[in-house]
Amino acid sequence: MGFMDTLNIFLKPNSSGNATALTVLCPIINRVVDGRSSADIVRERCLRLPIHEKSPLAKVPNTYLARIFILDNVFYESLPGSDSIFNFSEITSIFSDKSRIGALPQKDQLKSKYLVFSSNFHGDLDAYLRGMWDKWSYDDNGQQRDVRYIWENCVAFGGVTDSSSFISYMKRCQLNSALFFNGSTDDSLQEQLKALYLKQEFSKFAAAHQGESAADLQQAFKVFIEQVQPSNLSGPSWEPGQSKP
Amino acid sequence: MTQNLDLTDIQGNIVKAYGSFGFFKARYLFLRVDNGDKGRDFVAKIASKVTSAERWNKDSAPSVTTNMAFTYSGLQALELPTASLVGFPADFVMGMSKRKAILGDDGPSDPEHWDKIWQETVHIWISINGKTVEDIEGRYQWIMQQIDASGGVALLKGHRGEDAFGNPSDDLPYQEASILYEENGSPSSKEHFGYTDGIGDPVFEGQTNNEKRVIGRGKLTREGGWVPLATGEFILGHVDEAMEYPQTAPRPDLLSNNGTYMVYRKLHENVGTFNKFLDEQSKVFPGGKELLAAKFSGRWRDNGAPLVHTPDEASKAEWDKKYAAADVSTQKRMLTDFTYNEDIEGAKCPLSAHTRRINPRGSLEYGVKDAFNTPGALVNRRRILRRGLPYGKVKDQASDDGNHGIIFMALNADIKRQFEFVQQQWINYANDFKQGNDKEVLLGNHDAEQPGKVVFEVEPGSGKPPHFVNNIPRLVETRGGDYFFVPSITALKMIAGGIIDPT
Repeated sequence: MGFMDTLNIFLKPNSSGNATALTVLCPIINRVVDGRSSADIVRERCLRLPIHEKSPLAKVPNTYLARIFILDNVFYESLPGSDSIFNFSEITSIFSDKSRIGALPQKDQLKSKYLVFSSNFHGDLDAYLRGMWDKWSYDDNGQQRDVRYIWENCVAFGGVTDSSSFISYMKRCQLNSALFFNGSTDDSLQEQLKALYLKQEFSKFAAAHQGESAADLQQAFKVFIEQVQPSNLSGPSWEPGQSKP
Repeated sequence: MTQNLDLTDIQGNIVKAYGSFGFFKARYLFLRVDNGDKGRDFVAKIASKVTSAERWNKDSAPSVTTNMAFTYSGLQALELPTASLVGFPADFVMGMSKRKAILGDDGPSDPEHWDKIWQETVHIWISINGKTVEDIEGRYQWIMQQIDASGGVALLKGHRGEDAFGNPSDDLPYQEASILYEENGSPSSKEHFGYTDGIGDPVFEGQTNNEKRVIGRGKLTREGGWVPLATGEFILGHVDEAMEYPQTAPRPDLLSNNGTYMVYRKLHENVGTFNKFLDEQSKVFPGGKELLAAKFSGRWRDNGAPLVHTPDEASKAEWDKKYAAADVSTQKRMLTDFTYNEDIEGAKCPLSAHTRRINPRGSLEYGVKDAFNTPGALVNRRRILRRGLPYGKVKDQASDDGNHGIIFMALNADIKRQFEFVQQQWINYANDFKQGNDKEVLLGNHDAEQPGKVVFEVEPGSGKPPHFVNNIPRLVETRGGDYFFVPSITALKMIAGGIIDPT
């Protein structure tokens, strides 16, 4: 990693070229209605989200990869050693259990459960969040759902009424991703899907035409190019969310 | 070779491939235990004849061997203490049919199509290996007497094959296996596709005193030499390649020490499909039929010559000449002494060839100097000892019908980390080989709907195009099997005595 890359972690913590990382933690309202907690309702709605091409995230432009889950609590690492660099009780803990327990890190608790959404995408954050507000939709057993259906049990989400209030809500819940590693190129999703499609089709072409004469090969290649239209991003191509050829 | 193994305590099939000691025939029996007490008495009887790994000389070698292993439900039926049973790993507890998604046993290999015997619960595996069928028959009759006298165990029928009169049956009482013979009647080490099999099994510490046997079969050192793999990769209770005791050992130590796990798999070979596929593909492959067959496997069919040293007809002819003139020890060395580091691109031996996929021999560093601590860092924990023999006869080279294939048995300390990893990641997937999701040619679970392909690379800068092999059909189908625990002889006696004490 070069100096500028290192510097960029601090200057542009959520970016890697044209790729952006987003991590939001939205507190879920502490409320129980008819024996069901809000967190339980949110989890159940998340578990019913359709996947692959039917996922609402396939409709949100430029999503490379995203995940959504409920954070119930923080995990306690019961390792020996306290939060301070040197603690006398680390030595005395050899002799007494009270000292040993005293030397362990403090146990923290979350005050509420969190809805965690994390996404890697192409482009800038505002445009992406606007896309989430405008395009997030899916069929839920015959009901058409928008993005509010997942988020409406989060603290203060009642104040979100349009794309700009959604954007500022999400930004308020955002954490910095300091060590963002982008698993693909930073091209737009359309470019990447087209590239995947071309790669698949070209390997089929190569396999189907091996051993042919140069003239036949050229003729076949012309037909191939007409079919796959390399510079036409809108099609033919892979669909967002598509997992198999 | 500093490791001293108690060879009298280890079952013989772990340390020896019986076939290479002239035991050309085998019979595999599967039993059910109906009564714990009587079942344990039966185990005691068989244990008295179980063959250990003791070294043989010409006079001490027996004419017949017997070995014994148990499924998880078998150990339950023999009433092992719960505190011992909970120590077994999940793969072994689940058994092979429930691991089908990991193993790729789908379509024609799905457990619902397996031999009838695998539709019921198998408890005990007993193997008899012999130099002749008569030797085997004698031991078999003795075992049948023990079963009859026990009253608490039953021999399970339901193997597909041919009965004594050559008639097809799906209800045979045992699985017969045998080496194949050349047309002139001399014994061969071939399987039904015509490949020479069983070369280059791993060698571990304590197995042999012969350093020559380690070449190409142990683990590759940074200096380019070979040393035996850690014993714990193959036998429980010994330190493994991570310098740890295997995590798969149940308590107490006396139950697990000197034992291991065995994968038993009956693999049907679609000989007609293979021959047709080879003929069709060799029409478009520039190097001819035998080179193509070698490219599928990584070795030439006739004598097992490694492709890395014999990438074309000319080098093969040269190699053959040397091989014919060499003594036995040099011949063995010629078969195993190679790596893929001189062929990182796969121009000689394709990256999807069988032998390269199941044992990449340190080539996963991809020529990057000192990429890992040791060249075999990604390989040494994925090795398996391969045992077993072909079964059945091919009557019609143009047909898949009939019962013929390989009884494949793999021995390892950790089924999930070793056998299952190789099957899932290296045979049915190719990310580690930079070949996308191309499956290994011979054993891959190729899909009839979306037939597989593999690529034969060419020397970089040669100006030649790579070669694509398309429309690969399912060449090998699983017909049954399970996961077994092979206890030490001490543990066998303790299981038989009902005195396993995990407290």
